[in-house]
Amino acid sequence: MKLFTPSLICLALCGSLTQSNAQALDSPSPAQPADAPTEVKLSDIYKSVVRIEVATQTPSYRTPWNSGKFSGGTGTGFLIGKNTFLTNAHVVSNARRVMITMHGSARKHPARVLHIAHDCDLAILQVEDFSPFEDLSYLSIGKVPQLESQVRVIGYPVGGDRISVTRGVVSRIDFRSYAHTRSDQHLVVQIDAAINPGNSGGPVLQEGNVVGVAFQGLTSADNTGYMIPTPVINRFLTDIKDGQYDKYVELGFSRFQLFNPAMRKAYNLKQDDPGILVARIYKDGPIDGTLEEGDILTEIDGKLIDSSGSVKIDGERVNMNEIVERKFAGDTVSLKFIRNGKEQTAEITLKYFPAAEMYAVQYGKRPKYTIQGGLVFQPLSRNLYSELALSNPRVRRLFTKYISEDIFQEREDILILTNVLDDPINSYISSFTGSAIESINGIEIKNIEQLHELLNPEEMPEFFVIKCEGNNRPLILPGKDLKSNNERILQRYGVEQPSYLGK
Amino acid sequence: MNSIFKIILIVCLSTQAFAQKVIPPEDSLPLIKISSTSQDYNIGQPWEKNPTSNRRGLGVLIGKNQILTTAEIAANATYIELETVNGNVAMPAKTIAIDYEANLALLSTTDPAHQKELAELKPVLIAASAKLNDPVQVYQIEDSGKTLVTNGVVRGVDIVSSFVAGHYFLTYEIKASMQSASHSFTIPIIKNGKLLGILTSYNSKDQILDVTAPEIIQSFIDDAKDGEYTGFPSLGIGISRTDDPHFRSWLKLDDSLGGLYVKQVKRNSAAQEAGIIEGDVLTSIDGNKLDRKGYYQSETYGLLYWSHLVRGIKKVGETLNLELLRDGEVIKKEVTLSRQQDGLIPSHMYGKAPRYLIKGGFVFQELTKAYLQAYGDKWKTRAPIDLLDVLNHPEDYEKGRERIVILSRTIPTEATLGYERISGAIINKVNGKNIADIPSLIEAFNTPAENGLHTIELDNVLKTLYLDAETAKKVEADFLKQGLPNLSRVK
Repeated sequence: MKLFTPSLICLALCGSLTQSNAQALDSPSPAQPADAPTEVKLSDIYKSVVRIEVATQTPSYRTPWNSGKFSGGTGTGFLIGKNTFLTNAHVVSNARRVMITMHGSARKHPARVLHIAHDCDLAILQVEDFSPFEDLSYLSIGKVPQLESQVRVIGYPVGGDRISVTRGVVSRIDFRSYAHTRSDQHLVVQIDAAINPGNSGGPVLQEGNVVGVAFQGLTSADNTGYMIPTPVINRFLTDIKDGQYDKYVELGFSRFQLFNPAMRKAYNLKQDDPGILVARIYKDGPIDGTLEEGDILTEIDGKLIDSSGSVKIDGERVNMNEIVERKFAGDTVSLKFIRNGKEQTAEITLKYFPAAEMYAVQYGKRPKYTIQGGLVFQPLSRNLYSELALSNPRVRRLFTKYISEDIFQEREDILILTNVLDDPINSYISSFTGSAIESINGIEIKNIEQLHELLNPEEMPEFFVIKCEGNNRPLILPGKDLKSNNERILQRYGVEQPSYLGK
Repeated sequence: MNSIFKIILIVCLSTQAFAQKVIPPEDSLPLIKISSTSQDYNIGQPWEKNPTSNRRGLGVLIGKNQILTTAEIAANATYIELETVNGNVAMPAKTIAIDYEANLALLSTTDPAHQKELAELKPVLIAASAKLNDPVQVYQIEDSGKTLVTNGVVRGVDIVSSFVAGHYFLTYEIKASMQSASHSFTIPIIKNGKLLGILTSYNSKDQILDVTAPEIIQSFIDDAKDGEYTGFPSLGIGISRTDDPHFRSWLKLDDSLGGLYVKQVKRNSAAQEAGIIEGDVLTSIDGNKLDRKGYYQSETYGLLYWSHLVRGIKKVGETLNLELLRDGEVIKKEVTLSRQQDGLIPSHMYGKAPRYLIKGGFVFQELTKAYLQAYGDKWKTRAPIDLLDVLNHPEDYEKGRERIVILSRTIPTEATLGYERISGAIINKVNGKNIADIPSLIEAFNTPAENGLHTIELDNVLKTLYLDAETAKKVEADFLKQGLPNLSRVK
């Protein structure tokens, strides 16, 4: 599930999620101690858990024309099929070189990222030459472990070079945020084994089967680790079967729990009537045009939705998102809802909601920008917002309301004047830094390509009159001599390309 | 904002004995010690006041039973006591005129029995304007009652905001090395035996005193004479400098001209009445040419910021002759100055009680700057972005509104079950009626729908809330039983 607002203040969308007990969905076998006799020998398992060494190049949104920062890190991965290594997306994000090392071997094998799913923090790697790995066994994906059952975390965390094994107990199964994009929520299993840097991407095992991928911890608590459970892993593996990753799908609405008696009365609901309120429908989302705000959603795929937004599956109450979570782009979901006292049904085709990318941290992408007269313009994104700590109130408002007030419908990009490369031609302009651009010479700005074209016309106008959001004093940039001034500015500040518009 | 930091008590000052002398009481000025007890309202729970705080400062007698001091010492005062310098007589006092914007107040004792003590003192006269390097004396009172005088020098003149942010007045910067004394708040500054000004802030590092200028004090006293205080006038424009050469050539501003770009004209302002519009360039006021940064050449003080021509020299009802440039053409406007009415968000809440309404556990308030500031030091980033937007761009919200009514918090009750997380949302309508302020909100709640439900429309992901009128009444009755003094305040 994607968040449609950047923080957690919105009402129901990320509101009180009741305990989504995913065990029932997978009807697991009774818990057994982790060290019970298993069919797969431990030494074999160790061999299939590999160390991943990554060299990264992370773009800088502050200096988008530069190459970015070169650094690196290590993580863990494991073999799940022929030349198929599973790991976390964050282990191999922004990777320029990936090397895989087997347990008990010093040799580094060059590898590449075959699939990467940032929204669920999973990736598939391939080595260039699989022959050294031919004898290794494939780890099989198991079920969701039961609460209190023991699990074993294997990986290459900090503190040494060789493989490390820790044990823990499953302490919570919940819907939670994935830190990698900061805007996705999926099922998460919490264990009390510490997960440390380097553990990421490693398998969490029970009875010789993979029950999760270790992926994040908590800085504020000790002995708390989180793993990506098998429903999320299986969904990813199914999604990429056709050769590409199509991302999670959404229904595209915010809901409100109908606890208040007056609210129930207003919508003619009796004490025990099911349903949640459709509070906000996002434009162009899957249910836009079919459902309306004020509808009471009562059933999803034939399952009754209670007033807290949960559905019952195999006797367990789980968050209704779980139904959508396991579907793919193009799948349908059937909804039953009440409008003006009348029950109606609809078949909704699920799809990805691209505007929500505004709130997701982007990886592996070169930041877009365009420079004119020393003025650097960049489209607003989560990366830009955080890295530049943008504080202009109108910019914050555009960011916060990008989806909830349908701003994305009008403006694909919100262009920000992020920097002024100081030069005599722009010496009084720096106070505009951090503003959002509303219009140029009276034309409203909708995306970076349009802004770039407007600022680079065949024939330069006398002035560019640039209106910034929330500021009635326009920014004036003279068109005359801009071309020669640009050369001087770009050379002085070491900017090779005056723009990068993506491709 | 004030450029130098403000202090309440002066501490850690080096004593420079040669600059100070103790003079006998009979030669001293008609100084009065002032103690005030002040209390402001609890922003989160507007039905009650915060714990009290005390301030001690000085006042100076300027007329019969008229003691001049700063507004700061009298702001939100629940009790003011005057005391003679020797400490022999204490008497209760009241505020007869107060100007929070200019930071000035006039007090008088309410105790007729003690008025004769005051009558024995000879009121001080207000000095004429000072010049740079004029010597002045700073008067302080020691605990013993001795008068402590420090010599100082006028070092500069500027337009400064001393108490309420955004209100700028002529202020002297005086260099003097003061020491800590018991009544160091609002200290009088004397030149040739006359009152030059009142200290509003002291920067102990630079040893610079900010002192309200005599012109401002004289205007204040003149205004208060008839017993009905009006206040200083405003033009009501937001401006921007014209020092950017590209901006100037776009505005077709000749190099010989300075001027200020009008980027905002406030609702119901003198400027709006006179037909000034956004985009005009203000080049001259009453024949005083403005430079590119908005300064003019004052006969008395040299370069001075333009706002003194409005607030420092003129009174409400008087006119200003403005010269403006509109689309490259010179135009002239005569403006009759007025008091700027409070906008959607009042510039301050001193001396005013916040209006509120409690309905079934919902607490409704009118948005104030103090409410936003209650989000802490980083309120500019932590307060709800919708509410900050009103503060920054009130013009976008003015239609049909006097104030912005917000659902400031939700107290968990039977009636607000399921709504607990809603707070900081702007209220648009209640029971179908537009909400302009708290009185109109109270009015709107008088008529729930036939099904017994109140309908509340707000700026939120959830656009409409319903509240059961009967349950709300029951909850409100409980609130009163539990010690809430009132369910609403309309003033």
